[in-house]
Amino acid sequence: MTGTPLLEATGLTRRYAMRRGLFGRPVEVRAVDGVSLSLEQGRTLGLVGESGCGKSTTGRLVLGLERPDAGSVAFEGRPMPGPGTPAWRALRARMQMVFQDPLGALDRRMTIGAQVAEPLEIHGIGDRDGRVARLLGDVGLRPDQAGRYPHELSGGQRQRAVLARALATDPAVLVCDEPISALDVSIQAQVMNLLVELQARLGTAILFVSHDLRAVRQVSHRVAVMYLGRIVEEGEPDAVLHDPAHPYAQALVSAIPHPGRRQRRILLQGDPPNPADRPSGCAFHPRCPAAVALCAREDPVLKPRPGDGRHVACHVAQGDAPAPSDGRSAARRGGPDRPAEAMRAA
Amino acid sequence: MLRFFGFRLLRAAITIVMVVSFAFVVLRLSGDPAQIIMGADAPPEAIAAFRRAWGLEEPLWLQYFHYFGAILSGDLGRSMRDGRDAIALVVERIPATLALTVPALLIKLGLGIPAGITAALHRNSFIDRAVMMLAVAGFTVPSFVLGLLLVLVFAVQLGWLPSGGQESWRHAILPIVTMGVGGAAVLARFTRSAMLEVLGQPYIRTASAKGVPWRAVVWGHALPNAAIPTVTIIGFMVGSLIAGAVVVESVFSWPGVGRLLVVAVANRDLAVVQCILLLVAATMVTANLVVDLLYGALDPRLRQRTA
Amino acid sequence: MSGIALPVGLISEGKRRRRWPVLVVFAIAWLSLMLGIALLADVIAPYAYTALDLRNRLAPPGATMLHPLGTDELGRDVLSRLIFSIRMSLLIAFGATIIGALIGTSLGVLAAHFRGLVEQVVLALVDFSASLPFLILALAVLAFFGNSLTLFICLLGLHAWERYARIARGLVISAGAQGYAAAVRQLGASPWRVYGRHVLPNIASTLIVSMTLAFPEIILLESGLSFLGLGVQPPETSLGSMVGYGREYLTRAPWILLSPAAVIVLTTFSVSVLGDWLRDRLDPTLS
Repeated sequence: MTGTPLLEATGLTRRYAMRRGLFGRPVEVRAVDGVSLSLEQGRTLGLVGESGCGKSTTGRLVLGLERPDAGSVAFEGRPMPGPGTPAWRALRARMQMVFQDPLGALDRRMTIGAQVAEPLEIHGIGDRDGRVARLLGDVGLRPDQAGRYPHELSGGQRQRAVLARALATDPAVLVCDEPISALDVSIQAQVMNLLVELQARLGTAILFVSHDLRAVRQVSHRVAVMYLGRIVEEGEPDAVLHDPAHPYAQALVSAIPHPGRRQRRILLQGDPPNPADRPSGCAFHPRCPAAVALCAREDPVLKPRPGDGRHVACHVAQGDAPAPSDGRSAARRGGPDRPAEAMRAA
Repeated sequence: MLRFFGFRLLRAAITIVMVVSFAFVVLRLSGDPAQIIMGADAPPEAIAAFRRAWGLEEPLWLQYFHYFGAILSGDLGRSMRDGRDAIALVVERIPATLALTVPALLIKLGLGIPAGITAALHRNSFIDRAVMMLAVAGFTVPSFVLGLLLVLVFAVQLGWLPSGGQESWRHAILPIVTMGVGGAAVLARFTRSAMLEVLGQPYIRTASAKGVPWRAVVWGHALPNAAIPTVTIIGFMVGSLIAGAVVVESVFSWPGVGRLLVVAVANRDLAVVQCILLLVAATMVTANLVVDLLYGALDPRLRQRTA
Repeated sequence: MSGIALPVGLISEGKRRRRWPVLVVFAIAWLSLMLGIALLADVIAPYAYTALDLRNRLAPPGATMLHPLGTDELGRDVLSRLIFSIRMSLLIAFGATIIGALIGTSLGVLAAHFRGLVEQVVLALVDFSASLPFLILALAVLAFFGNSLTLFICLLGLHAWERYARIARGLVISAGAQGYAAAVRQLGASPWRVYGRHVLPNIASTLIVSMTLAFPEIILLESGLSFLGLGVQPPETSLGSMVGYGREYLTRAPWILLSPAAVIVLTTFSVSVLGDWLRDRLDPTLS
């Protein structure tokens, strides 16, 4: 199942200067803070986290739409050219993006067909009519819908059109930024199935950014959980979902409603994180039920956990600090003594 | 509040610097400033002295600094027509202009704001439509046409009022009315749309839905909020008190700053034009500053944010 | 509920449509007439605008069949002068409106594209031109540079440029932040393609509405400056210079200035009506 790394991002950091009020002193906000990830051919990496955690910025950095303040992206072993340069523009044929809001991502004054043909025009690819017809068929649109305008289509059809445009140049990498969150639930499944099916056929590497853990599990081969600009846990989707190691991931998982199964939900305490005012030590410790004194002092690093080798950035889950004894902690539940292989077999 | 004020002050200063730079650049582009400021028939030794005084042999950036220095010390050159100090020439015209623009401003405020509020409160009524028709007319009839029509009716046909000059207060009536009516129309239109915008806000509906008497809603909620955008346009009107009468003063041969400007432009009397330009910019910028401070008083959000 | 509300909405819509067109139809008819006169001035004018008829000086309208709108103090035909003045004033207003829209839009797009220093410079220029009454600025430039028709049109073109710049900048930033422009950019499109094929066509309707709002202001400025004798110079003639010229004969021959004054008022009125109507229909976001 393992492919060769197609795209490798190392230590990506993106800072923004944010002003408080109109004339306040600018505050540095680290939207993304040292994120490393790799994408492999034909595989999907799911990136989950709550809004504002930097997952969309990570997607944009991976595509080279923004220049990272630190770290680098390498595509097929070569460094990403700066945004807007001719080399960068030419590379767009190999890497594409699918947006959250398909209506906003389409030009409302142009027909679907013209917009799907546009990347072919830009990159000088011939046989446009034939390719457009085939692309529309691939994403499940009728040939006559090429003549329609975006507002004449439904939300799901628009997202299919956006997908057709993204796939027009046969890209090697596709970044999907919340591609289904603007769609009706019934349409969400269709679009996800379409993604999986197209990936199986075309061998595209996908970075699937979403706040929806279940959606991520459905399409991903690996999943990374982000909190305040950092990846706090990474592993196989089923393993992460059934046996989350990081307390934040546990809270996320416990928030998924399960029909018929009553499960204790972990309610996070404290305020939602403010990236402009990052807590010391582990950024999650003010809200963490398992936090110990060490967590406020020392920043945990993302490293394989002893035992099953799951990547997790948590002192408690790594066993570097003792779990608090009040029983609220779930951090060690199914810890190193419970092999993740069993979960994967299930 | 202090930082807010400082920021505004900085912007005002930048604007003044830009106006001065504009005058400098334009002056250099339009020919030899010594000849232009001093006049073509000035004696050569006077031109040489001027060149030395203004440092015209120096590099351009140094000239620029000296130019600033001269302006800061109040030296704006001399009128090429009678050789008098440009500032004195302009300043002595200011009272005549204010004699027109201040009463006209009072007419604008006294007619325009109540008319706009009434129209907004009785939307789509006869009053509203009449006010809007007058407002559109006030905008589309240029002041020189209105002024000449008034002269034609009240001076030529009826003979009630003089058609021009500055001998008595009766001479001021037609110019004041001409300016006041046009400005009142603009202000009425603006006040009406500001009022309508505010009246459509949810907090107005909430206030009247929870039983606050309509008068109290209008006086307590709608008017203070509609005042905020209206203050901007009033500030602009105050800012143009000094030079807002260019056309009307010309129509009625009123010897104010505007008339002086037109004559100076026609004669290419650059020292005077430059002096008026800076004077207008300074007035305008000051008025804008006052408006910004008034904003602070009217809009508590601004106070809080910058506290 | 909606079944009841819908017909009511339709009725009021219909009512609005019936009330508006009277003015709008008049406005369109008047502007078409003006445009026709401007284009066909050489054909329909009975005389050259400089032709003298010394035997019929200061003839009132209708006094002689030769001069339906009368003559001025040199015996020049007021109708012919009016026709050529309309052409001149419209030429200036169109030229200046287009120049202003081009300059303002380009600077606004540049500011939005480059951000940073370029944007700050553009915004400072916007502040600068918004802080001075345009008439004063225009007078200063005319004083410094003298007058020529080309300079005059370019000068008036600077009127309202900051409005287009502000609008274009805002729209381009919002289009680029998320949405179609960002999407096309990341397809690998060049900036020319992004702006030329996508952004500008999408913001054109707003800019066109702004142009209809600036057009009457430019007519008023042109006629005001020409009235003061600082705009269009003789022997050329424009509506404003006709009024300024006729003012000398206000008591003896008011018809010299009344007809150009009426044309100015009706034309600015028509364009304003049309602009308001277009704004309501095309772009409710503009105020």
